Amino acid sequence: MEFIQIIVYLSIYVGLVATSFYILSYIYGIKKQRPLYEENELPFVSVIIPAYNEEMTIERTLDSIKKSEYPKEKFEIIVIDDGSKDNTLKVAKRYESEIVRVFHKENGGKGSALNFGISKAKGEIVFSMDADTIVSPLSMKRMVKYFKDSRIMSVSPGMVTEKPETIWQRVQYIEYLIGLLLRKAFATLDAIFVVPGAFSAYRKSFFEKYGGYEVENITEDLELALRIQASGFLTENCPEAPAYTRSPGTFKSLLLQRRRWYYGWIKNVWRYKSLFGRKTGDLGMFVLPVALLNIIFSLFVTFYLFFKTLGNVRDEFLFLQNVDFDVLNSITFNLYTIERTLFLLLSNPVILFILLFLVMIGIYLIYASKKIGKVHNIYFNLPIFFLLFSVLFGIWWIVSIFYALFTKNIKWK
Amino acid sequence: MEREFKSKKRYLIAFAIGTFIFLLIILSSYSISYWEFQRVSNLQISTSFDIFKDKLDYSLFDLGMCSNESFKKVSSDLGFQGRIIDDLERKIGKLDPRVIERKKFYTLVELEHFELVNLLNKQCNLNMQTILFFYSNDENSISKSEELGRLLGTLSGRHPDSLMIYSFDYNLDSDLIGKLKTKYKINEPFTIIINEKDKLVNPKEITELESYLK
Repeated sequence: MEFIQIIVYLSIYVGLVATSFYILSYIYGIKKQRPLYEENELPFVSVIIPAYNEEMTIERTLDSIKKSEYPKEKFEIIVIDDGSKDNTLKVAKRYESEIVRVFHKENGGKGSALNFGISKAKGEIVFSMDADTIVSPLSMKRMVKYFKDSRIMSVSPGMVTEKPETIWQRVQYIEYLIGLLLRKAFATLDAIFVVPGAFSAYRKSFFEKYGGYEVENITEDLELALRIQASGFLTENCPEAPAYTRSPGTFKSLLLQRRRWYYGWIKNVWRYKSLFGRKTGDLGMFVLPVALLNIIFSLFVTFYLFFKTLGNVRDEFLFLQNVDFDVLNSITFNLYTIERTLFLLLSNPVILFILLFLVMIGIYLIYASKKIGKVHNIYFNLPIFFLLFSVLFGIWWIVSIFYALFTKNIKWK
Repeated sequence: MEREFKSKKRYLIAFAIGTFIFLLIILSSYSISYWEFQRVSNLQISTSFDIFKDKLDYSLFDLGMCSNESFKKVSSDLGFQGRIIDDLERKIGKLDPRVIERKKFYTLVELEHFELVNLLNKQCNLNMQTILFFYSNDENSISKSEELGRLLGTLSGRHPDSLMIYSFDYNLDSDLIGKLKTKYKINEPFTIIINEKDKLVNPKEITELESYLK
């Protein structure tokens, strides 16, 4: 057996055990519901929206959060214009009211704007919300209810992307939908280590005791999630609270986003490496090691596929050259060709495993549709995801590791 | 403060489920190989039966063989069998006695068909051409064999009704293969014999092959 085959089978095996474990954890977890706030116990909430050059989207965001079904006397919205060069401030100012306050400060990055907002916030619970995110009216209330448990310092929503248009958005659309069940499974294990920056809730007292966002950190939300874990507190997840983010629409913008995320992941996970091991239970002994293994396997397979494809393309070109580019006659097509192709596919365990993973993804998507409603164009988006995601995932990681090794700074924007 | 595991038993269950599914899929893929093996075995018998019947129709019952309709089907069945047996060899293993038996039988059926083509050429005044292709499935020779196989496949696509290609495993431990090697003085794999007279070793280009066809 070749080395790459061993890697592929090992990654499949680890994937099967991990998926079984996460699904079991989810099933056990939903039976044990955490204590939730009653309607009359809901605390005061501050929603902080840092904005930098968001004149095109901030209106929609403000409209969406204002429609939240949360007692009006118990929430405020704080918009921080982080030195925008466009009309963001002017647009936001139009919303100023009893519950919407707008501040302007010099540009200092997202973390700095959020810290500024926290210093102005009156709420016991603080939401960070991107200026291009929209939420469902019930999302805020459903998330806040989890803070009844005093160990919970953060709650993440059912984070999904808006209706996709480009190929790259379609890949991300499915990726986020799959993430819904996994994130809930992680929550049942007290093992959430990533909280989406686009929309999440935090207990303000955590910031007061353990400090605010790290201004220089390019993935300040990830750092915060890891800090919560390292401090012995928990992050919950509420998939019934949909939040819709705008995903990058081009290959380049997506690559830049992932490079920032994964580079930040490398730096922050290394910094919080003490989370690995027995003392953090399932997080340190299973969830983080499996995530790391997943990355390592992806790198191997991507490298292999890249060089294998190059070799195949070269061989194919040489072959076609030898047959005077007689493509038509080099392909035989009859019923036997179909039978042989089917046989070769179905007698290959890797293909059977891929079919099984497709079924699993189907289960994840059924779960997602139950939590957030209609899933768009599934029969079109799923094959695109299946064809592109694993390759893209490998490319994003290779680029990010390259940057982590050979460069010093990646900036937010 | 150390955080407790939610349930250690759950790890065991997940490990058992993951292992069970993993083994089940591996087993299923092998079952599909054996299922296909059974199908090819049956097809081989039916093909050989058809060839024998055609030859008997002519030699014993004096029935005209020139308007024989079953020839095309038999030829197509034969080509498929050759490829799928090679696939099975790679899936099940070249040392598996069932595969070796199938390959030996396949060699026999191919030669029967080869003889039938020669007979048709003679009796019906046809100009069907033949290529005997000796390949090797040794680890270091597989890609070279496949390359030459594809080249011959393209050649066959260009001459669908007038060219018959018969492939033989150079390394197969069979009397018939041994006799063929002696008859055509084959000393290495990747050798092809065109129309029983021209011998080429590892040809690279289709034009080179075509220059030997009538």
